[in-house]
Amino acid sequence: MSVRHLLGVRRLDTIQIQELIEVSAEFRRRMKAGEALPQFPGKVAGLLFFEGSTRTRVSFERAAFALGIQVTNFTGQGSSMAKGETLRDTILTLRQELLDTIVVRHPSCGSPQLVADFFRRPVINAGDGEHEHPTQALGDALTILLRKGRIQGLTVAIVGDVMHSRVARSNAWLLSKLGAKVRFVGPNTLLPSNCALLPGEPYFKLSEGLEGADVVMCLRLQKERMAQGLLSSIGEYRRLYQVNERTLRPAAKDVIVMHPGPINRGVELDDATADGPRSVILDQVESAVYTRAAVLFWALGGDPDAVLDGATSVFEEAEA
Amino acid sequence: MKTLLKNGRILDPSVNADFIGSVLIEDDQIVEVGPTVDETDVEETYDCTGFWITPGLVDLHAHLREPGQDQKETIITGTQSAAAGGFTTVCCMPNTTPALDRPELIDYILDRAASPEAGGVFVAPVGALTTDLKNEKLADLAALKRAGVIAVSDEGAPIQDSWLMTRAMETCRMLDLPIMAHCEDLTLSRNGSINEGAMSSLLGLQGIPRTAEEVMVMRNCLLSLNTGCEVHIMRVSTWGAVEMIRQAKYLGAPVTCETCPPYFTLTDDQVGEFDVNYKTTPPLRTNIDIDLLCQALADGTIDCISSDHSPHAPFEVLVPFDQAPFGFVGFETAVAITLTHLIHRGVLSPLEAIRKLSTNPAKILRLEAGTLQPGETPVAQVTIIDPDVEWTFDVHKTFSKGKNTPYHGHKFKGKPVATFCGGEIYRDALFGADRYVTVD
Repeated sequence: MSVRHLLGVRRLDTIQIQELIEVSAEFRRRMKAGEALPQFPGKVAGLLFFEGSTRTRVSFERAAFALGIQVTNFTGQGSSMAKGETLRDTILTLRQELLDTIVVRHPSCGSPQLVADFFRRPVINAGDGEHEHPTQALGDALTILLRKGRIQGLTVAIVGDVMHSRVARSNAWLLSKLGAKVRFVGPNTLLPSNCALLPGEPYFKLSEGLEGADVVMCLRLQKERMAQGLLSSIGEYRRLYQVNERTLRPAAKDVIVMHPGPINRGVELDDATADGPRSVILDQVESAVYTRAAVLFWALGGDPDAVLDGATSVFEEAEA
Repeated sequence: MKTLLKNGRILDPSVNADFIGSVLIEDDQIVEVGPTVDETDVEETYDCTGFWITPGLVDLHAHLREPGQDQKETIITGTQSAAAGGFTTVCCMPNTTPALDRPELIDYILDRAASPEAGGVFVAPVGALTTDLKNEKLADLAALKRAGVIAVSDEGAPIQDSWLMTRAMETCRMLDLPIMAHCEDLTLSRNGSINEGAMSSLLGLQGIPRTAEEVMVMRNCLLSLNTGCEVHIMRVSTWGAVEMIRQAKYLGAPVTCETCPPYFTLTDDQVGEFDVNYKTTPPLRTNIDIDLLCQALADGTIDCISSDHSPHAPFEVLVPFDQAPFGFVGFETAVAITLTHLIHRGVLSPLEAIRKLSTNPAKILRLEAGTLQPGETPVAQVTIIDPDVEWTFDVHKTFSKGKNTPYHGHKFKGKPVATFCGGEIYRDALFGADRYVTVD
């Protein structure tokens, strides 16, 4: 059996995506019912974060805890990397220290592939530069399924700084593979320069991009985009692209609003919408825990069929 | 001592010659070239039947990395690699550590190149245009010229300040010293690592737009037109840059340009899953660029083909894509790629291709090279090419210390099989023992 890496959604096939989401849903059911998840005694996961993160790291730790996996943390600062060690040497060391899996976040696009090449045991991408963030997208898909009952045929508008967003790329791949129509909505300076190879249609006007949308996924606007000259001001962005009760009017009546966090309140999203009935932002955080547990379970060799035996499919539930 | 290169296809672009014949070398000089030559007292005969006999190839743009970067390459290994690639003259770029901004460093390069372990090719150093390539003030260009540089360049540190570049051109025009220009607007290329387009968008990598190259090509062409300074535009990669150069030539600017094999063979989408072996600057572009670069090679807008040999140490390359250095090793693939992609596909005739690999580059920097005519070069410089041999490139069998290349495992048709610079400096295993005869 080949090593089970989760490096990105782009290269996953639909069946595999569905299986991971099914396992996430089943883990959710069990954790809510107080039932135990499959256990991996003696397994150790290394959380290797070369970029700041609290939510993703805590979420992975929580997921590992539920599976009985021990966790050890590394950060870029204070490690041997700060002393000039190459990524390759760091990974070879961790391999020799008998870690069973590595969860890696790194500012360079594509670096999890490199980590996988050197580590040769399961590697899970927890965000690589502006490329992919697959566990976020899997959790978001579960959130949408739980709320909407389906993904097939939905129109999803991803709004904001798509160019610099790994969340946008992973979600676009995942949701389009599951049959959604994906739109990228944002200013010309923050959309990918060429969408030909990406599964999304670009829209510059928020009202057109949100027309009939079933799901609106806001992205965080990094303050540094102003310094880079990509935007004139926060005010200009807010006026043109803020998702709020008024700008959501063209969307479907039962539209849900998502955000990967952390939110810039009053910028990409206003308070009323972020905390309102359409918001599923806190559900996203919760779903991600189940998804990360499912991914760790799968990566460490867990058998999805054994878990799903007798469980109701989260996809079929929708059809019923 | 007389050496005969017999019965090959003589391709000498300097006199537009293309015929079956022989070249006679006596001691280290070419003494006769013709359909038949005087064979009395010949001691060594190379049977070149089916091979091409061309002037020694001239590479205007290569990195030998010394001084200071010998983890990547040394002048010894670099010149050996050049000889194996069919080159007899190599122009080495000044972005070393320290940069080639002082006469002592030029002396050092020439000394190392002349050492017996070196590859035996001529090394023609290109000086740094500004002190330490910092682009604050011009280097002592007259002193560099006296020390033996054949051109000066801002390679690796493209001059952004147009005022400074104008003064550089005025000075170089006065000194009769060509400028080899690295055309890149750093405010546009930023920290990009791949062509800006569908592929950069897919991978989330910061893109380098084509305009980063084209804006500076245009500026440097206009400054050349206005100052009269000879400017050689390095590494043309976009059709837009070609159009700027075409226009500048039409207007009478003393501008020449080169492209390099990756730009007429590879495209940005081949980066695939972040393969650092495809990272170079300017970045690999698109099929439209390849088509129009081929057209510009055929119509003469692009004057020559350089290797842009850019070796790196393995540990420098085994890093995430955005952190990897730019460039590929190039000496030992340049001729094979030109044969496979340009000659065998009918883009260039054999004579025109050899012109872009020898006679034209020699002319651009006024080097005594690029011809088989007796007395025209300091010593005999000859390359023998097997145009038809099919082979697979194995980078681990190359002389260069750098093993960074996108061409490992590629199949090529054609290869240089022997190189002469004075005497024989390289003979390939593909040049069979049965073809080489000595008489005692």
